[in-house]
Amino acid sequence: MSSVWLPCGDYHQNYAADQGWWQTRFIKGKMILLLLTVFVGIPLFAGEYWVSVGTMVGYTAMGALGVQLLIGYSGLLTLGHAAFIAVGAYTSTMLILQFPWPHALMDSGLAYPISIIVAGIAAGLWSVLFGLPSVKVKGFYLILTTMAAQFITVDFILTQYISQIGGRGQAFSLPPGTIRIGPWVIDNERSVYYLMAVLLTLMVIVLANLLRSKPGRAWVAIRDNDIAAEALGINIVWYKLLAFFVAGFMAGIAGAFWVCNTAALSPEHFQWFLSLWLVGVILIGGVGSIQGAIFGSIFMVVVMELLQMAAIPLADYWPSLLMDFAYIKDMAFGLAICAFLIYEPNGLAYRWWQAKNYFNLWPFSY
Amino acid sequence: MELFFMTLTTGIMVGGIYALVALGWVLIYKCSGVLNLAMGELTIIGAYVSYTFHSIGIPFVPAVLLTLVVGIILGVLTERIFLDKLIGEPILAVIMVTVGLSFFLKGLVGYIWKNDTRVFDPPVFSIKPITIGFLQISPVYLWSFILSIVLLVVFVCFFKYTRWGLSMQATADDETAALSLGVSARFVYAAAWAIAFMSAGVGGALLGNINGINVSVGYLGLLVLPAVVLGGLNSVPGAIVGGILIGLLQNFSGTYLDRFFPGGVKEIVPFAFMAVFLLFKPYGLWGWERIERV
Repeated sequence: MSSVWLPCGDYHQNYAADQGWWQTRFIKGKMILLLLTVFVGIPLFAGEYWVSVGTMVGYTAMGALGVQLLIGYSGLLTLGHAAFIAVGAYTSTMLILQFPWPHALMDSGLAYPISIIVAGIAAGLWSVLFGLPSVKVKGFYLILTTMAAQFITVDFILTQYISQIGGRGQAFSLPPGTIRIGPWVIDNERSVYYLMAVLLTLMVIVLANLLRSKPGRAWVAIRDNDIAAEALGINIVWYKLLAFFVAGFMAGIAGAFWVCNTAALSPEHFQWFLSLWLVGVILIGGVGSIQGAIFGSIFMVVVMELLQMAAIPLADYWPSLLMDFAYIKDMAFGLAICAFLIYEPNGLAYRWWQAKNYFNLWPFSY
Repeated sequence: MELFFMTLTTGIMVGGIYALVALGWVLIYKCSGVLNLAMGELTIIGAYVSYTFHSIGIPFVPAVLLTLVVGIILGVLTERIFLDKLIGEPILAVIMVTVGLSFFLKGLVGYIWKNDTRVFDPPVFSIKPITIGFLQISPVYLWSFILSIVLLVVFVCFFKYTRWGLSMQATADDETAALSLGVSARFVYAAAWAIAFMSAGVGGALLGNINGINVSVGYLGLLVLPAVVLGGLNSVPGAIVGGILIGLLQNFSGTYLDRFFPGGVKEIVPFAFMAVFLLFKPYGLWGWERIERV
């Protein structure tokens, strides 16, 4: 926020103005243009395929925002975020399928929105449970406890127990028409996209607001030096657990959203791979910025789609390419993470910031 | 009672393999401070490489030796290409490079070997159990245990008594001092990675003999993480004890807890135990406690 360039001679008179979102009219116009693109431009003018790519970008970004909060803002390394997404997805599905809803609620279509919120809370609490060791340990040890969360939740509880409910074996599927918010039935690409856009916008707003208020400053203080933060009177236990709760809540909402995208659910969607993928996304996007999570999601999803598109014409010359594409994708993703860490450790968000500065200062860059 | 002793011996023997892999992990951490999350993939590569050598007709022991050679090459290459440029970077960056590495290696393994389940054919060890007293042990476990103990002793001796091993120990102890005394840090890092690849490779080959080679061998390789945490990150004896403890824990929970929690409780218990253990002893059994100052 503080990187806003004001005209010469303009100064903020108080802290609130300094932290304001829309400090100049240009920024306001820019953000309105962005919202118009997201809510009107893409769904109206992009084809069905690119809308679904947009949905994937949004889903990745929703997950990555929670990881960004934990790793980028609170310094709590996590490699088990997929577990909390899974908890959200399963809570939502279970509620819709198994809970004895009163007919009035079911008919008015409130089941899904209620389940989204419950999913968020459930995932948040589950995340706090596995965040408890963060009180005593940090760094690598914390990575291991979050990995424990991943394996215990997804590979054990969800696969062995929850998936057996109803006797269907591995996957759950939701009958068409059950996912609706009020009269709005979410059943095609565009409606899924709209739900994604609304949820993502809300999450970005909430996270950005949290980060510029007291909890956000406490998180950054803990990230930079937790002992100094404690000495300054910040209750680090409370704020670490709060970070886990908020990140888990966002993961839960992302999971509940995932249900409406696929209308089917299986533990395979939430393997350890997804946790690593989300961390990779924020590393590529840039650690410690909200834009970073979104840039990273766009980059990873779109680049992977482009790779896929490039693979189809190449398959004529290299027949096994399409079959092995999943492996090549893994290799490309791994190399991308390594290359970004080695050559571009500040991520895409830093380049974006540089570009903005260049144009802000143009033509006199001194 | 017999069941108890059977579980005990199997636990110790599988634990020996984990200890071997854990040793490679600890060596990397001690020498270069890199927390390696790609250990599962290293293990699976070892399993597939030894399988490939074995399937073209090389007997098992020379196949394992060739795996060691491949391990050295891969270890040095990995260190030179990926890790060398990150010396002195923040810990998160280094950990995450190993995550990227694990993705890359996983894709590579999938591309070359297609992730099918492979079994050593003809079987390396006979299926007929060996009877010692009242215990019946399957030869796979016994020979794996013996081989991993031999290698453990070799690695520890290398670390303690040879010139290269001593220079690695010196770097682990104090990097700056070692550098000023003329130890080549790049050599030490490369050697640590080579040893890690070698130990994971042998561990993978042995684990692949027990249940066949597939993705789950990679998961077994990940079990070294609870093992090293249990022992303390920077303790070689800790890695060995931790590996054996994890093997015991896994087998005992498979025998006794499976009744109450059917399903894969065996695979989960090491991680669950570790998460609880960290609450009480955050630095493991023999890890260095870091006193932090502002």
